[in-house]
Amino acid sequence: MMRLSGFSILALAMLFLLGPFFIIAAAGLSAGDLLVFPPQGLSLRWFVAILDIERFRVSFLLSMELAIISTGLSLLMGVPAAYALARYDVPFREAMRTIITSPVIVPAIIAGLALLRYAVIPLGLPVISALILGHTALVAPYAVRVVSVSLTHLRVDVEEAAILLGATRSGAFFRIVLPNIKNGMMAAFILGFITSFNQVPVSLFLTGPGISTLPIDMLGAMEFVYDPSIAALSTLLALMTILIVLLAERLLGLSRYV
Amino acid sequence: MFADRRIGLMLMMPAMFFVGIAFLLPVLILLAEGLRTSEGWSLARYTSFFSDSLSQEVMLRTLRLGFGVTLASAIIGYGVALTIANASPLTRSRMTALFILPLMISPVARTYAWIVLLGRTGLINKVLIGIGLTEEPLRLLFSETAVFIGLLQLFLPLMVLSLTSALENMPSDIIPAARILGANWLTIFFRLILPLTREGLIIGGTLVFTGAVTAYITPAVLGGSKVLMLETLLYQRISVANDVATASVIAAILIGMSIVTHSLIRRLTSGKRSS
Repeated sequence: MMRLSGFSILALAMLFLLGPFFIIAAAGLSAGDLLVFPPQGLSLRWFVAILDIERFRVSFLLSMELAIISTGLSLLMGVPAAYALARYDVPFREAMRTIITSPVIVPAIIAGLALLRYAVIPLGLPVISALILGHTALVAPYAVRVVSVSLTHLRVDVEEAAILLGATRSGAFFRIVLPNIKNGMMAAFILGFITSFNQVPVSLFLTGPGISTLPIDMLGAMEFVYDPSIAALSTLLALMTILIVLLAERLLGLSRYV
Repeated sequence: MFADRRIGLMLMMPAMFFVGIAFLLPVLILLAEGLRTSEGWSLARYTSFFSDSLSQEVMLRTLRLGFGVTLASAIIGYGVALTIANASPLTRSRMTALFILPLMISPVARTYAWIVLLGRTGLINKVLIGIGLTEEPLRLLFSETAVFIGLLQLFLPLMVLSLTSALENMPSDIIPAARILGANWLTIFFRLILPLTREGLIIGGTLVFTGAVTAYITPAVLGGSKVLMLETLLYQRISVANDVATASVIAAILIGMSIVTHSLIRRLTSGKRSS
């Protein structure tokens, strides 16, 4: 009895969390012109149509570039920081950790507004650079945390042994540590990429006519598009994410790092 | 391991400077702007924000939705997490993965689904009319209920995941032991499960609460200008009136709430490690 009611709660929760995806996927597969469920006949026409819309193609590419660049930058700075926190007696450790993790605490919309007002407008910083700054800062805490997790799993004495056998400290880092935290770095990259790619609030104030990320463009289009195209696009994005996450889970065990 | 503090410091510097200058500094300037008026430093912006009836309404709604979504996710979360924790290890890890998955999918796509479901010609209205509960389609979108549902869907997985890991750390034989000693399920829940998973509940609760009160996409899409929350109010104040002072006050409120909840999590998790 307890078991049965437990499983029905689980099933209902799953339906609540995942059901809506099936609804938008079905609505996106509609052959008709209206966004409805159940769909009016089935066809792939909206999935084809969405690929033809220039605006979405441009913002998709921008979101991809932005996610790759900012995650790359955040790893470049995050890996040394995580290594220092794991292996060195860093002065003002807690204060520094607080500063690096502050992007998690400050709501992203505020960072976007602050960057617009105090970097883009007065300094004439190009909007794309401000987007990169904002996204990199936002992803950095995740990079530090995920890499820290894999560093704590790596035994310190392996490095000590390498140094005793004559490796320099940086040699030991590049030849011993780095290959061993490769999976953690990949996981950090994937999580950071997804965070940046899906990010809305930080980009909200930093996009405008001519430069926009995909999620911002979709939000804008929702207000005046009543055909199934956005549903088709949402479905494609969801499928892309599911594919990435499943692959990462298979290859790296992504959920260990979340 | 390595005692050289200079090298440690050097390794920290790039990330420190980057986050400090490109992120924290602009945010601090923005916060300072809310404390400044033409006559110098003052709290005037704050008093006028808190005495404005629209701000009060938005503030109350944000807190109401925050606590409501947290409470609902805790109730559903326990039901789900107890079931998952009782399953076999393989099912358990598959289920956990299924709850992580929605967290990775674009919140814009996740929110959009509710437009299809809750719209005037949406599935819910069709069903309601079909079974004769109502004749006219109900106005479900752009209501607080719609925002509540959207937020719950977005943040429920966070609660499920923290409760599941808290339950996994609980000794597995204590529930059967309590059953044998004659405790009923209510007693077991309130006297055993709740106290033993308190930390997981608080961690999950603070994650859900901060997520809900600082949400932008859900209230923007499902609430519109009728059901404003703090972040949509901030956006509106800037885009309609370029009212930086109000935006700065809202920013301070949001950051304040976020700091309180994060330090709570921090204290709980660091306490666990040292014990």
